[in-house]
Amino acid sequence: MSLPRSNYDPRRVCLNPFPDLHLGKYRRTVGVYLAGALFAIGNFVFFDAAVYSAHARVPWGVDPPVHVTFVDWVPGICSILGYLVVNLIDKDRIKGDEGFGDSRAVWRARLFLFIGFALMAGGLAGSVTVLVLKYVLSDYAEMFKYYGYANVTQNLLLMISAAFLWMAQSTSGEYEYNLTL
Amino acid sequence: MAAGLKTVILLSFVLAVGFLLIILSCALWANWLPLLVAITFVVAPLPNALFSHCGSDDFSGSYEPTGAVDLGRFFTSLIVVTGFAFPIVLAHSGVINTSACAMSIVGGGLVYGTILSYSQAFSQSEDSDFE
Repeated sequence: MSLPRSNYDPRRVCLNPFPDLHLGKYRRTVGVYLAGALFAIGNFVFFDAAVYSAHARVPWGVDPPVHVTFVDWVPGICSILGYLVVNLIDKDRIKGDEGFGDSRAVWRARLFLFIGFALMAGGLAGSVTVLVLKYVLSDYAEMFKYYGYANVTQNLLLMISAAFLWMAQSTSGEYEYNLTL
Repeated sequence: MAAGLKTVILLSFVLAVGFLLIILSCALWANWLPLLVAITFVVAPLPNALFSHCGSDDFSGSYEPTGAVDLGRFFTSLIVVTGFAFPIVLAHSGVINTSACAMSIVGGGLVYGTILSYSQAFSQSEDSDFE
């Protein structure tokens, strides 16, 4: 008795079950539209919290104890800056193909890519920090934790949007035979 | 040539209904903030219209869209989501009424759907010989 032939490379240990979407030539378009939609949704979740905070009326008091201040805006600004930096880099520079410019350009491109990803990850970590330090640890009412959760949601959606944009722009290059990276 | 005179009349009727809904959602509650939804949806096809000509021309011969085309699509999607999310944000914080929010969303969807189907119906006849 022999096992049936597997349809994957048996030498691979970590098999990544990435969903193989057969969108064909529309994959890039759909990915870019989806990235833009996620970007807008994430930002509007946070704007909703900010507007809600500016118009908040507490039913039992005169003034709500906490508002969305500039501290809450900082992680989102970091994430958007990182988003811009990551997406302004030419994707072909990072792979470091031979004969494509000098090697220092590749080094610099990777450095700026690192800075961009660090800004985005810093934005996400900063939003979690604001959530914990400003809203969870202090004993405000439950409804005010929404501001912190909206902040985390904004930065998470920005990261997911950047991932979608990256995949949409890198998969369909050269007729879909470089699926790695 | 399916797109004829009846299509034009139907689309203009739907467009008028959409604008009517948006203006009603402003005027019934005397709060003119939802009018921004109409401006948003009118602006929405603009990035695609601008950047779609920055792609490959007839001589490059590659079907690979460039970064400018992607930027146009990104901004289009951003503006469309903005148009749908803006009344929801306003209604959530109690600036506008909930039914005004629903009316302006439906009206904005009608306006944007009209623009989309109009460009689909009338640009197909020119592009069809390239397919």
